[in-house]
Amino acid sequence: MSDRNDLSKYAGLFEDIRAADIMTANVTVIPPEKKISHAKEMMNIKRISGLPVVDETRHLIGIVTVEDIIHALEFNRLGEPIRNMMTRDVITVGVNDRLTDIVSKFQAYRFGRFPVVDADNVLRGIISRKDILNGVLEKFNLIYVHDQKRISTLNSEFSFITGERLTVGDAEFHYNIDTTDIGSAGVGAVMLKTFLADKRYPAEIIRRIGVAVYEAETNVIIHSRGTGDIYCFLQGDLIMVRVVDNGIGIEDMDMAMKEGYSTAPDYVRELGFGAGMGIPNIKRFVDKLVILSEKNVGTQVEMILYLPIEASAPATPGTLTKN
Amino acid sequence: MTVRDVAKLLEAEVLSGEDKLDIEVKHGGAADMMSDILALCGPNQLVLTGYIHPQVIRTALVTELLGLVFVRCKNIPPETIKMARQHNILMLQTRLFMFSSCGILYAAGLRGVDER
Ligand SMILES: Nc1ncnc2c1ncn2[C@@H]1O[C@H](COP(=O)(O)OP(=O)(O)O)[C@@H](O)[C@H]1O
Ligand SMILES: [Mg+2]
Repeated sequence: MSDRNDLSKYAGLFEDIRAADIMTANVTVIPPEKKISHAKEMMNIKRISGLPVVDETRHLIGIVTVEDIIHALEFNRLGEPIRNMMTRDVITVGVNDRLTDIVSKFQAYRFGRFPVVDADNVLRGIISRKDILNGVLEKFNLIYVHDQKRISTLNSEFSFITGERLTVGDAEFHYNIDTTDIGSAGVGAVMLKTFLADKRYPAEIIRRIGVAVYEAETNVIIHSRGTGDIYCFLQGDLIMVRVVDNGIGIEDMDMAMKEGYSTAPDYVRELGFGAGMGIPNIKRFVDKLVILSEKNVGTQVEMILYLPIEASAPATPGTLTKN
Repeated sequence: MTVRDVAKLLEAEVLSGEDKLDIEVKHGGAADMMSDILALCGPNQLVLTGYIHPQVIRTALVTELLGLVFVRCKNIPPETIKMARQHNILMLQTRLFMFSSCGILYAAGLRGVDER
């Protein structure tokens, strides 16, 4: 496991990744003449911690950060124009900067994100830790599949995949998949459903997890030729499930993602599986899906479902038992 | 219509879940592939299938179906019936073919899962 997550050994692969390849081009910006209170509002709504300030020609002239807002609050200056409070010496990344340089910038400054500018200091995008992660995953065919809700914090997201914070020993639920018994496909999914129902998670969430885990569990049994496990982590506002095996891996991830693609042998069709709809189904039923796979090392399917706001509110008695 | 109506219309035998006969059912689907059932069908629905392997019961369980109607009266494996009873999943069996079964139920007012 830890071997598989050691990204450094792949460093050479990433040399040609440039900021422009992985940045988010669609940036929320703000003009300097707007009030600080306006910036505060925008950051709140968009859930961002830094807002680039640009002039009419989109030249970057500053950035408003959470610290600036706190400062303004403290001195009662929310009504002043952003120009007066913004940070002027912005640390930026150039569109052509290499991944390694970008990573060292993140290490050196500990900011959550950097504006990306071209040679004329015109804002072209923004880059966060998460963008780096996605860029890296794409590069070595470990597919970052989709992300319907970009609401969780960057740090915890980063650790889901690197395994930094989520060690399997901390899983609240564990099921060892019996790959020798085809008839057991789905037993783990049903057990997980029961486990979550006991903890009073919302029925709809449980149903979606059930379907997704059933598909992933079945894949381990019919495709992996290895052994596998299901882990579930409960994290307050989200449920994370990891289905992992040490089998042959997914040869062609792009194809595996497509509806109708299957390498399943005939006997698998007798099980009613092998229609090539498994991974597309998983994608359909979860909020977020990350599939990592390496040939002859294994496959790891990580899925996240966000709880509806009411259910995750800590003040609501009886809706959720955490840990 | 109720499950009892469904059973009557299809001249079906109830193999499991006798206590569910008075439940009202509004939507149904027909599928033989597990992934189709998983993707398309859901709670309180009836699924018509020609697929008799016990795996279908686990699929019904995960999908939280009301139950299954097995069409064309094949030799259903005893394990399938046993598993359905164990989990109290409604299980009907009709000698009618898939097409006629669907047509009869639709004409009687049952709607497709895509018409919710
Ligand atoms: N755990 C796994 N190990 C190896 N290969 C896998 C695994 N999961 C999926 N695959 C590959 O991805 C393909 C698509 O999977 P899926 O969408 O579930 O369709 P199906 O299971 O019907 O073939 C499979 O046919 C197989 O080649
Ligand atoms: Mg599959």
